[in-house]
Amino acid sequence: MKQIFTPLIKGYLFSNLFAFALMGITKLFIPSSDSVLIFSEFVIIPFLMGIISTWFWRKRELRSRRLMWYSCINVFIAIGLSALFLKEGSICLLIVSPLLWTFITAGAFAGQKMFERSNNTLNISVVALLLLIFVADSLSQHNYENEVSDQMVINAPVSEVWQHVVAFKRIKKENKYWLFKIGMPSPVESTVDGYHLGAKRKCIFSNGYTFDEKIVTYNVNQNLTFDVTHQPRDPEIMGHIDILRGQFLLKDNGDNTTTLIGNSWYRLYVFPVWYYDIWAQSITRNVHLRVMEHIKELSENK
Amino acid sequence: MFSFVIRYFGFLKFVPGLALVFDNWLKIHTLLTRPDLLDWLDAIETEADKWENVTISTHKYGGTQFNYGGKEIGHIHSNGLLDMLLSRSIKQQLMQQGRIQDHHSFKNTGWISFYIHTKRDAGYALHLLQIGHERLSKGSVSNICLPEAY
Repeated sequence: MKQIFTPLIKGYLFSNLFAFALMGITKLFIPSSDSVLIFSEFVIIPFLMGIISTWFWRKRELRSRRLMWYSCINVFIAIGLSALFLKEGSICLLIVSPLLWTFITAGAFAGQKMFERSNNTLNISVVALLLLIFVADSLSQHNYENEVSDQMVINAPVSEVWQHVVAFKRIKKENKYWLFKIGMPSPVESTVDGYHLGAKRKCIFSNGYTFDEKIVTYNVNQNLTFDVTHQPRDPEIMGHIDILRGQFLLKDNGDNTTTLIGNSWYRLYVFPVWYYDIWAQSITRNVHLRVMEHIKELSENK
Repeated sequence: MFSFVIRYFGFLKFVPGLALVFDNWLKIHTLLTRPDLLDWLDAIETEADKWENVTISTHKYGGTQFNYGGKEIGHIHSNGLLDMLLSRSIKQQLMQQGRIQDHHSFKNTGWISFYIHTKRDAGYALHLLQIGHERLSKGSVSNICLPEAY
């Protein structure tokens, strides 16, 4: 048994066990945290995982290179377990992995320094402080909404552009955005059951997922605004962001061209915002651009 | 890349912990591109740790800091960049050897920078730290000549 549970294996085992136990306990006692993944889960827990692993490895007096490799293996184990138990999709794990790499390795080196000094009071204080931050963060309200706006000029009159804004034929063009290329669903088609206020609109994605929408502003040749009434729950990004509302604004430039503005409002369920909002903005922007470029092509080729 | 980040995002070093995170990224990058460097940095740390009254700590802007009696001798970032404060005259003499540079941020001061690219460079970095140690421990440096091995 001792041969199986070597310090190396214990480092991997107990750091991951700790992480999943802490997340499980949080979900159990703070039900409101069920659908939200907070800052501490991506920063504090990985950092503590690094510290815990080096506690088991402290007697091996690891050199930096080896400690780094061991920590990298720990990152892969954590990612694998997240896929298995948290049912996260591969793109989601790809997005989260830089945070895990950063903070698990940082925790490991911090742990190495801590255990070299053998100052138990200091070490316990550091761990207690990190746990305190975790508890405070878990008990805090997390709510973040943002808007992304993009615009482009189309060489066609507004009346022509408007026809393709409300609904459009299937997009056949190849994806340019790298996340779409590696499998993230991209928008391919939009359908509508009527050209009026209150009509039901559908935005269909490449994997067949459909966003149900309801038109809430219908000013012909000017403004199409729709609320998203239902969206798929997907292991990928879909579970961590809600698209709340979409909008197309059309401006007649007076020279037979139209400025098309695409706006989207979304709510994030993953924190820290300083990290995930970069991804959310990038993905939303590329959804806009794919649709708007298609509308431009349809309008200009008429 | 390092110079770009320091130049345009250097102001972020005042965000607590961010410089340490950045240094950790440097460490990951070093592991993937020049893993030997991590061993040389360890060797420098082990050797310097044996010197009289020398302590090793984490530099406030990321990296390993070498101190003599509470005063900083110098620090090495995890991309192998050694930064040290010397007197201007010692700096002048070392500049003539042609291996060190002006500090990447503080020009026209006693600060110097030296990039460790090879094992031989790691030896030279240790030699520079010895000069810094001697300067702080004895108040002067008797000989800054380069040992032949370096």
